[in-house]
Amino acid sequence: MTARGDRILGLALLVLAVAYGWAAQQWPAPFGGHEAVGPETFPTILSVVLALSSCYLIAKPDPDAHWPWGRTAIELVMAVGILVVYALVLEPLGFIPATTVAVGTLCWRMGAGPKGAFITGLVSAVVVFFLFNNLLELSLPAGLLAFE
Amino acid sequence: MDTLQFLIDGFAVALAPQNLMFALFGAFIGTLIGALPGLGPANGVAILIPLAFTLGLPADTAMILLTAVYAGAMYGGRISSILLNIPGDEPAMMTCLDGYPMAQKGKAAEALALSAVASFMGGLIGTIGLILLAPVLAKFALTFGPAEYFALFMLAFATLGGITGKNPMKTVVAATLGIMISTVGIDNTGVQRYTFGILKLYEGVDFILAIVGLFAISELLLFIEERAGAGRKLIQVGKLLLRPRDILHVLPTTLRGGSLGFIAGVLPGAGASLGSFISYTLEKQYLGKKGHFGEGDPRGVAAPEAGNNGASSGALVPMLTLGVPGSGTTAVLLAMLISLNITPGPLMFTQNADIVWGVIAALLIGNLLLLVLNIPLVGFFVKLLSVPPMFLLPMVTMIAFVGIYSISHSTFDLYFMIGFGVAGYLLRKLEMPLVPIILGLLLGPEMEKNLGHALVISDGDWSVLWGTPLAASLWLVAGLGLILPYIVGPILRRRMRAAITEDAVSD
Repeated sequence: MTARGDRILGLALLVLAVAYGWAAQQWPAPFGGHEAVGPETFPTILSVVLALSSCYLIAKPDPDAHWPWGRTAIELVMAVGILVVYALVLEPLGFIPATTVAVGTLCWRMGAGPKGAFITGLVSAVVVFFLFNNLLELSLPAGLLAFE
Repeated sequence: MDTLQFLIDGFAVALAPQNLMFALFGAFIGTLIGALPGLGPANGVAILIPLAFTLGLPADTAMILLTAVYAGAMYGGRISSILLNIPGDEPAMMTCLDGYPMAQKGKAAEALALSAVASFMGGLIGTIGLILLAPVLAKFALTFGPAEYFALFMLAFATLGGITGKNPMKTVVAATLGIMISTVGIDNTGVQRYTFGILKLYEGVDFILAIVGLFAISELLLFIEERAGAGRKLIQVGKLLLRPRDILHVLPTTLRGGSLGFIAGVLPGAGASLGSFISYTLEKQYLGKKGHFGEGDPRGVAAPEAGNNGASSGALVPMLTLGVPGSGTTAVLLAMLISLNITPGPLMFTQNADIVWGVIAALLIGNLLLLVLNIPLVGFFVKLLSVPPMFLLPMVTMIAFVGIYSISHSTFDLYFMIGFGVAGYLLRKLEMPLVPIILGLLLGPEMEKNLGHALVISDGDWSVLWGTPLAASLWLVAGLGLILPYIVGPILRRRMRAAITEDAVSD
């Protein structure tokens, strides 16, 4: 039983706590003199709490969960990549093409047949687009398919 | 009889055609959300918040919609428990024990119908309890000062992990992280905190996109990791052969289960999972040899279902009266209230009486709608359940994108949401609970405000925070809430596991 996950997490949180607490001490005192509770009081308490509890995690970590390596990890990175690309092309390409590609690729990567996956993507994109733009009157970007 | 008058006014709100329509829609969507594996109630309600927002719904309609979704999700959870032996959400876990064996014996339709009746009874009892208890608690909460509120928030965090929570220290870490995120932005003295000069961060992190990212996107990633895209085989649902006698047979069980569930729901940190667990185990003990629990006893289906629906109404009591939610889904409902600019807490009962009582009346109506919806439409829900997650989850993700995008029409928010999703996935892998993060995000600003007020009143004397007997006892309970899981937790968890494995062996 290794427990590296919690140790690394604890260490990262400790660094965060110190940085967060340090940043809180840098703010100028508010205009009108010092009060009992300034903008830095609450963050300072939080950083102390987080620092103490992350030390606990480092000292007494839970056993590691099973982390995916190899192919599954690549699939996961790809999925996040698809989402980022989706957000990136949503406005320039327009909702329908971007959604067809994004939903289609995700369905396909999750195990659907490529044909079924992209048809699902296209149908859901078209349905949601018309539902939103025409019935609910919220505008989604039309992009390439814009026509007046 | 103030309460009765308010309730009648509430019905007037809830029965307005638009509200009634949204309650029906919410109940339907909620059942779906509860039934589909991989879409828990908190997740489902979170995805719908941006939609409710962008539709420009008035506050009462938006709350009625989301409450109906919440109630519906509790109904829906049982469908996959009975047919697939996988709980749609955590509280539906106990329903698997007798529901699945019943389905295996070819009595799936009966199990579904009986559990719908039990859910209705549980929801009804819970809502009546809510009507009786909430105004009393709200009146009591009016005496709370800032110090008491600060202690109350601590209590909420301490007990959020629940008695069955695994590692209370992780709850502390998660809550602190959430509060830390909430301090980003310009504070009330005008100081920029942790904005790094990014204009988008001046007004703080929008908790709706944090919630949707943490829940919905991380769910997609978990499914990809587990390669569970294909879904599982369903049990066939036969024709419904239910006699009135069968319903009468389980009626006492539902009454007991609903009441126990309600109490479990009101208590901080217990929640619906404990509600269904307690109802099931006590019913099993009470009936003893007279029942055949674990082999498909109808009462074993009715008890946990009544329990979890009672508990879900009970969990609304602390959320509505104190502004302190006791479960993940009620935390998400609180997010909706805050974003509608309604300050939850005792004052809501006087200032926004129409909304509070409208929501309560909508719960009653919603329960009735759900019962009516669930018996004839169960076949339809079962069909939808056979849509494998590999098609479903990408579409859910797309809806989440649409919702977040339509709030602000900015792709920056989408990247932010994806970031929260990746963080949510990593934290879930590390067994870090997500609900305290959400609660920290929501309650952080209130905590800081109350801390400030308390210290200004006392002129900087910190002992004011535990100065009054009430505040001191809240701190005491909060302390117990953190320590008890270490002592009681392992015992309770072992029992829950034993109950499940024992029944798994016997079938």
